[in-house]
Formats: sequence, C-alpha cells, structure tokens
Amino acid sequence: MLTDYNMCMSIDSNYARPEALVTTEWVAEHLKDEGIRIIESNEDVLLYDMGHLPGAVHIDWQRDLQDHTIRDYIQPAAFADLCSRNGITPETTCIFYGDKSNWWSCYALWVFRLFGHEKVKIMDGGRDKWIAEGRPLTREVPRYAATSYPVPAVRRDKEIRAFYEDALAQSRSALPLIDVRSPGEYKGLVTHMPEYPQEGVLRGGHIPGARSIPWKEAVNPDATFKSAAELSKIYREDLGLKNDDAIVAYCRIGERSSHTWFVLNYLLGFRNVRNYDGSWTEWGNRVGAPIEKSA
Amino acid sequence: MSYPPKLDAIIALFSGLSDAEKRETLIAYADQARSQEPREGETFDLEDIRKDEECTDTVAVFLRLDEGGGSHFRVTLGPQVQTLTRAMSSILCKGLDGISPEEVLAIPADFVPKIVGAELVRLRSQTVYYLLTRMKGVAKVWLNRRRSEAADGGTFPA
Repeated sequence: MLTDYNMCMSIDSNYARPEALVTTEWVAEHLKDEGIRIIESNEDVLLYDMGHLPGAVHIDWQRDLQDHTIRDYIQPAAFADLCSRNGITPETTCIFYGDKSNWWSCYALWVFRLFGHEKVKIMDGGRDKWIAEGRPLTREVPRYAATSYPVPAVRRDKEIRAFYEDALAQSRSALPLIDVRSPGEYKGLVTHMPEYPQEGVLRGGHIPGARSIPWKEAVNPDATFKSAAELSKIYREDLGLKNDDAIVAYCRIGERSSHTWFVLNYLLGFRNVRNYDGSWTEWGNRVGAPIEKSA
Repeated sequence: MSYPPKLDAIIALFSGLSDAEKRETLIAYADQARSQEPREGETFDLEDIRKDEECTDTVAVFLRLDEGGGSHFRVTLGPQVQTLTRAMSSILCKGLDGISPEEVLAIPADFVPKIVGAELVRLRSQTVYYLLTRMKGVAKVWLNRRRSEAADGGTFPA
C-alpha cells in the first residue's frame, strides 16, 4: 500500500530519506488508504475549520501538543490519548501538512518523534501547494474509530531535543549552533519576525557562536523543499557541517527550527540534530544568559 | 459603557454559545469577510493600507463618513491573513456600522473575549485585537484631521 513513494518523480531521490516526503499528487491518490492518517497542523488556529484535505484530522501545536501548566510538551499518556482519539496506532503512517511552508507540520512531526512514533512524513509544499493546484478541501470533520495507542515508555528528550543547558554547553564548546530566525532577529535588530507580534522577549541578539542560516533558505517559493544538492551546499559546503556533528538548531519558539531539524535529519541525513524548542523566548529572557549582537 | 446596538447584538449572539458553537460562528463570519470589501465606485474619507508587524499580510481599512457623521468601514484582507482576523473584520464592519468616530474610539476591547472565547484569546491574543486597533487608529486619524482643519478654519462634515 505504501510502497510507491519512490515512484513519484517529484521527490528528490538524493535526499537521505526520500521516503520522508510525499507529494501532493501522491496524497491526492491515497486519501482513502488504510494505514495512513493525514494530519493538518497550522499557525492559523481556525484554518482547518475553513477547509482541509478530505479525511485529514487536526492537531494544534498549542492545544494538543503542549502542557501550558509546566511549559513543556504533553506527557506520554496524553500523547497516547491524542493518537487514540485520532485513530492512530504505532503502525499508522502519519502524513503531516499545514500552512507557513509546513512549519507547524514539521513541529508536530518532531513532537511525534519525541514520543517515538516512527512512521512520519511531510506533504511537500504543504497546504498552500495543495490549494494552488486546485485540489479539493472539505469542512467535513472525519471520525475514526478510536484505537488503543500504547503509552510510550519515554519521551526522547535527550535524543532530539535540546534544553537551555545543552545550548549553553554547545555555545561554550563551539559546537554547531544554527540560528534559523530572520537576519534581523539574529543581529539583534528586532526581537521577532518582521511580520509577527512580539512574544515577550526582552533582549535581541543570538546565542554566542551561533551561525545564521534562516529556515527559509531550505525552501522554494512554492514551499517545497530545495533539492538535496542545494541543501547540501547550504549546510555542508557553506556552513561546514559534517555528518557526525552534534548540531543544535533554534529559532524563537521552536517551530522554524523544527523545519530545519527535519531538513538536516531526514533530507540531509545528519545523525545528531537536536531542536532547542525553548529557543530565543527562553534564552533572550533568561537571567545570566550571554548573548551576542552582530552586524 | 454600553456597546453600539449592532455590536451589542453580535455580542449577545456569541454570549449564548458554547466554545464549539463560537468557533462555528466565527467561521461563518470569516466566510463573509469578502463582502466587507470596498464596492465598485465607493469613495472613502480615509484609507489605511499597510502590512505591519502584527499581521502576516496586507490589511486595508477604509472609512467613509455619511452626512450624519456615521462611520462605515470596509476592509480588504490579503490571502495570508489569519482566519480570526477575517472573522473579526466581518464582525466589526457590521457591529460598528453607523456610529461616530468618537464612539469607535470609546469602545472598550473587553467584548472581544465574549465573542472569541477565552481559549482563542489566550492562544492568539494579538490576532483578535488587531483589527479593532486598526479601525480605532483610522478613526483617530480622521478626528485629528478634522480638528486640524477646524483649527485652520476649514469646514468638514458633521
């Protein structure tokens, strides 16, 4: 059923794991397949309600994935419940898509990986590409039979997630730190993206030693990912990353760096990449945290 | 203070709804956002077209004053504008229709949670207040211009 990913010519076979991407065409042809669940994750909190891919369920990055009482992700039992409610089993292939060039779908995918869910994919180009191609949307909310997703034994924080202390150690050891925010945020000229609201950061700048590679470098104008060769030039040739490097990526609240994490991990095959989801909203406010500003 | 009658009716409508029903109603208002765009041949006393830090795409606010001094807003939204802002554009264009610019400025923002619901306000606090702030800004500019013209001895409607 899920054997023909590589037959789709639009996915670059030179990616480290080309099977981590599916095209809009492929999704359109497999909307009703058993064993897959299409998941929309957006920045726009009501966008799913305005219309979504037929059969897609909605997972909101704040409502469903975060525990605001402790500023953390949900616990394993809540993740199991979330999956069970959406008819997902450990064998289900979860195909994520969304707005904003798939920022939030990459974020949701990363959280699913935190809980060890193996079968995850991104629909290349996301929601905008689907719509631009004139493909159908529906407002019908699907109902799937509840499953009994087992509670994951652990949340894999140590493997793919970095905390403040990890980012500080990375900085002090001069290990690769990638700041994926806009150049103005990196330089400390602004504390948020030019088109976005301030989210309570007191200081502008970047983590000492971090290199600036905005997330947007990795995508084409239609929100699809750039080719393996183009991505390799950006991250290997220009930035100098090596396959075994221990890499930490960060942004403002962890969503854009999830996108870069996906690129580095799945498309380029870097083996040790962590997302610092506390990102600049934590670092920029943290008492005693050193910062750099640069031209 | 009390709200303008049209806005008050919308607040009353939302106040009786569950959070799920509020979302459905917001979607219905968002669907109507295009009907609040300027119509062919309409002229305006003030136009404020910009893409600023609090919004992800261009939002244009148009104000026309009728002979009685009543405000009539039109709004054009870029394709990337969030759904909540679309809904608020419909709600505010309808709810504020006909009141004076002074009354627009005086409206407290505390009605927004009654319409949107506490959860959405918490999740998207900037988004839900954005358009009201823009409309108040337009009303304020219009009033300042009128005062300036008055100081210069000019004339102005109402």
